[in-house]
Amino acid sequence: MPQTLCAVLVLGILQAPSPPAPSQRPGGDLRVWAAASLGPVLVGLEAPWEAQTGARLVLNLDASSRIARQVAEGAPADVLVTADRAWMEWAFEQGAADPAQARRVSANRLVLVASRDGPRVSPDPPTAPDDLDSFLESWDSTRRIGIAGEDVPAGRYARESLRALGRSEQVGPALVTGGNVRTVLEWVARGELPLGFVYRSDAWEDARVRVVADVADSLHTAIEIWAAPVVTTANPDAALRFVEFLSGSTGQGAFREAGFTPGAGGLRDPPSLLSPTDSRPPVASVRSAIRISVQVALVATLLSVIPAVGLGWLLARRPFPGKTAVSALLLAPLVIPPVVTGFLLLNLLGTGSPVGRALAALGIPVAFTFLAAVMAAAVVGFPLFVIAVRNAFEAVDSRLEEMSWTLGARPRRTFWRVSLPLALPGIGAGAVLSFARALGEFGATVVIAGNVEGETRTIALAVYTLLESPGDSAAIWWLVGASVGISLLALAGFEYLSRRQRHLVRRNPDV
Amino acid sequence: MSETGPLLRARVSIDLGSLHLSVELSSATGAVAVVGPSGAGKTTFLRILAGLEPRARGRVTVGGAAWMDTADGTWVQPWDRRVGWVPQDTLLFPHLSVRENLAYGLSRVGDSSSPAPLDDLAELVEARHLMDRRPAVLSGGERQRVAVARALLSRPRLLLLDEPFSALDRPLRDELAPRIRGYLDRHGIPVVLVSHEEADAHALGCREFHLVEGRLTP
Repeated sequence: MPQTLCAVLVLGILQAPSPPAPSQRPGGDLRVWAAASLGPVLVGLEAPWEAQTGARLVLNLDASSRIARQVAEGAPADVLVTADRAWMEWAFEQGAADPAQARRVSANRLVLVASRDGPRVSPDPPTAPDDLDSFLESWDSTRRIGIAGEDVPAGRYARESLRALGRSEQVGPALVTGGNVRTVLEWVARGELPLGFVYRSDAWEDARVRVVADVADSLHTAIEIWAAPVVTTANPDAALRFVEFLSGSTGQGAFREAGFTPGAGGLRDPPSLLSPTDSRPPVASVRSAIRISVQVALVATLLSVIPAVGLGWLLARRPFPGKTAVSALLLAPLVIPPVVTGFLLLNLLGTGSPVGRALAALGIPVAFTFLAAVMAAAVVGFPLFVIAVRNAFEAVDSRLEEMSWTLGARPRRTFWRVSLPLALPGIGAGAVLSFARALGEFGATVVIAGNVEGETRTIALAVYTLLESPGDSAAIWWLVGASVGISLLALAGFEYLSRRQRHLVRRNPDV
Repeated sequence: MSETGPLLRARVSIDLGSLHLSVELSSATGAVAVVGPSGAGKTTFLRILAGLEPRARGRVTVGGAAWMDTADGTWVQPWDRRVGWVPQDTLLFPHLSVRENLAYGLSRVGDSSSPAPLDDLAELVEARHLMDRRPAVLSGGERQRVAVARALLSRPRLLLLDEPFSALDRPLRDELAPRIRGYLDRHGIPVVLVSHEEADAHALGCREFHLVEGRLTP
């Protein structure tokens, strides 16, 4: 199972690597930027496409909101495939795709899934689920529900449906926002979250989840899969051919097999009712994002103080077995991609692990809570803290400690009266640095803490969320200003404290 | 401190790679000076006596009590030895005022409440006017005087002086040395002084040994 998550992480968050640009090989590889939910279909079409044309497909899979924006900003894509109509229309407006060449290639449905207990018996399609309204009637509100971001189509449809049912307020507090629908699926499949809104095609494909409720089509904007050649493509013919390939029998067969609803259509139907921004629920709150960021960073730093000072002192002053290994391991979070750190933390603290289960049993669930954001921030900030503490202690002349001993102060007393006061500015500098790093934490947080408005949505996550939606640039600029301002303030504090430290431990001039 | 035999007896050696030191010293008088060129191991010898060189081998007794003996594993920790250590660069605590530096060793004596000895010793080394200053603003000579006073205030069983007068001009040294000597005599505190100058040894009235290439000669 971890491979699947890895694939999601690599494809969805880190983005696909970039093989040759289309301009270099006209008529060759076709670069398809597609909604994450279409991954299985498109991967399955790689071989038939290559058989037909001799060219390879190069896929970049992410949320429709993100790929549409990237294509509009000039990403080197040949074909854009979105999991909803609104983002395709937005691409038309931006002049990134040509309406005349666009096709509705399929349709999808929304379902609520739970993680499946036990092994799968047969490749059964999800059958006999409840409808959403009756499911929510008897739903236990402590069972949290994963949902894609406000501006990701899957997230929008799910929120529309909840509003249509008049259940937004009931369910709102239990929602955990993931980056894209594949992330939500993975959370549920791994048992980190009990429930999640995903596409029917996702549930179909993934043996680890089962459908517990169907979301009626009438509750939300129709979920249409749209494909169009990108206007700037260097391969207009191949791009158009691929769009028609998706509408053709091979393409439609692949969609059907993957659990999509047949829905290929010709040119444009009447315009959809919703533009990407219309149905947007309250945007990420600037104030709450700043508050959460500062709280998370502050708590993470405070929790780190005692371990960082202890470990920094040990590394500076004491030989112990495995010291090299410890000091190397300590630096790991500095060089490991934060997303990977988040993944490891999720494995350590999620409900799938004994530690996570024990904590949850004690009433301290970690994953997707404020505490998870704190853990992510603490882990990535800790190395900087310890390095600063270690340097601070190493800068203290160890003979001052010896002098203290000869004056009758045992090591413990010496630590409190000599070592610690002399290292204090350096320790403060480390705390400030770790606070600043915690403030900027994104990758690990988004994996283990999700993107929960008012709970784990920090400045970085709020900016990311807002970037997915056109408009709201004022909110983004407020957040950017706050982020840059607080960071610079923290770095100024770091600089000041570092200077104090150097001044304090400067060796006496020779006598 | 009743005396049965030599006040100080040391037979120690240490191999620090670049320096091999092997010293045998026995003194019944209260004041010993080890004179030698720089790099001869004088400072290391004082550190061994203070208990700051765990790699040293041999035996040290002060006033009849064994501080270290590698033969039977005796080892008294530096905080239990009660030495007054005055290193060449004084090692005053930079974050404490002169008064706080002086008082640092008082707590082990248990009379930090009475400032009388503190003021007396500050007087002795002419440092009363410096009490509220930080070490960083003191001159080299002032620092050395404060360091000596701090060592004496901790009521040491053995005073270790490392080039203690190097930053004092000659008249001041000639004035201070007899006062310090008088104080040591009054309180029965033995002293080991190391210096590259015989004049320091004379000023404090020490019995002189010479340290050359890690070996001691009278």
